[in-house]
Amino acid sequence: MIDVADLTKRYGRTLAVDRLTFSVRPGHVTGFLGPNGSGKSTTLRVLLGLDAPTSGRAQVNGHRYDELRAPLREVGSMLDARSVHPGRSAADHLLALARSNRIPRRRVDEVLGLTGLQDVAGRRAGGFSLGMGQRLGIGAALLGDPSVLLLDEPVNGLDTDGIRWIRTLMKDLAAEGRTVFLSSHLMSEMELTADRLVVIGRGRLVAETTVARFIDDNSQASTLVRSPQAAELRAALERTGASVEADPGGGWRVTGTPAESIGDLALAGGIALHELRPLRSSLEDVYSRLTDTSVDYRATEAMEAGR
Amino acid sequence: MTAVDLGEGRAGYREAVWSEWTKFRSVRSTVLLAALAGAVLPLFAVIVAATGSLQPDDTILGASLLGGAALAQMLVASLGAVFVTAEFRSGMIRSTLTACPRRLVVLAAKSTVAAGAVVAVCLPGAVAAHAVGLAMLDRDTYATGDPFPALLGVVLALASLAVLGVGIGTVVRHPAGAVAAVIGVVLLPGLLAPLLGAAQRWLGGASLSGVLQKLTQSSDATHEAVGSLGAWPSLAVVAAYTAATVLTAVWVLRHRDT
Repeated sequence: MIDVADLTKRYGRTLAVDRLTFSVRPGHVTGFLGPNGSGKSTTLRVLLGLDAPTSGRAQVNGHRYDELRAPLREVGSMLDARSVHPGRSAADHLLALARSNRIPRRRVDEVLGLTGLQDVAGRRAGGFSLGMGQRLGIGAALLGDPSVLLLDEPVNGLDTDGIRWIRTLMKDLAAEGRTVFLSSHLMSEMELTADRLVVIGRGRLVAETTVARFIDDNSQASTLVRSPQAAELRAALERTGASVEADPGGGWRVTGTPAESIGDLALAGGIALHELRPLRSSLEDVYSRLTDTSVDYRATEAMEAGR
Repeated sequence: MTAVDLGEGRAGYREAVWSEWTKFRSVRSTVLLAALAGAVLPLFAVIVAATGSLQPDDTILGASLLGGAALAQMLVASLGAVFVTAEFRSGMIRSTLTACPRRLVVLAAKSTVAAGAVVAVCLPGAVAAHAVGLAMLDRDTYATGDPFPALLGVVLALASLAVLGVGIGTVVRHPAGAVAAVIGVVLLPGLLAPLLGAAQRWLGGASLSGVLQKLTQSSDATHEAVGSLGAWPSLAVVAAYTAATVLTAVWVLRHRDT
């Protein structure tokens, strides 16, 4: 369980997080979405007690992070930047962290196995590829078998196998009743991994909902329809008040009328249909439309501020 | 949730010391600096004795320890600074502070490990240096000096300096900057004090090199240079400003975003 309430973080004159409120529940993979610089990493750093909030609060399992008795056993975390000494081996890195929370040594070996690092355990972490470094970071997060996981951009730098591995791992961890909170700017990835979303833009909450709801609420339903009697179909559709545009791939893209009505209309008019397909916006489309707005807004505001 | 049995958890001082020791021994730089600091003590004693580089009024204890200790000072000060600044440079400090969010505990544990490592290598090193002096120098020509508890004092002064390195490193963060700052603390009193006239003994008496001169009953430890404060009270002064530096570092670590 993660609770962020009215959180504000200011660095000098820059407002990184602006009265942000949301909560993340156990049993789900929750995606934390926002463009670069929107305040995701700052929020995670405040949650982990690394940065002090300017005002408001950020709690994990009902406590401020620095109140936790053995933090690694409650919260597993991985930040965007690699937080590993390059001269230390993967095994020693994990062992040092394990000892700080009295986690038994055998757990280090378990985690090395779990992350597929057992063969490189004795190698200096500085020589690791991006993907191996990412696995080591996830290993450190899993060390204390925590009920809450906070991961900043976990699929960064991973190959297809690695991405699939993370996706399955996160879903399994959530299915076990843990709270899994992942930040990402990769919409397509979130669509496949997360079932809930916290979306922020410019440090403010944009949406807090399920992935399905987020798409439904923000997408415009449209239907792709193709017919040998294209002009006739278009005229018939426009008479019902639907808007019709040519799709770059051929056929008409129809909004304002559901697919069922289009089928009925064609039958009634004796028009043959070769394709009738409802189109859903992907999370990517919805998200880029939202962030475009926030970028526009930012430019306008900057201009006004400059006056 | 899957039941992974990890026993009872705690992230206190003892756990932090274990963790810091694991970090200390698993990186080349800290291990190498500690080994060198222990080794230069007897090595320098051999050089001094072989070349007979001492004044007639010197003690064997002073002659066999002072040169090596001066070098060891640089090494242990760098050791303390590098032990902590490497974490800031690599971002490891974030892992450290998420594992143990209590800043005082983290710095106390780091100081304990740095000081403990210095004692572990420099105590045998200092004893060996003194043994070299006794074996190679003529005891009829030079006073032997009183080795106990002076040897222990020298080692404690070096340990204190390593802790000072940890404190300064935490505040400065940048490795080269921290090493330069801590070596400045070691060298500057010796360079500045002679310029200060009557105030020389105040600065010299509270400086690390002054403490080492007093402890080894060196002929350099004149009243004008290092004041009249005894060797052990001087060591206490050094320990006190080391503690003050570490507490400042704790304050900085609590109030600075990481």
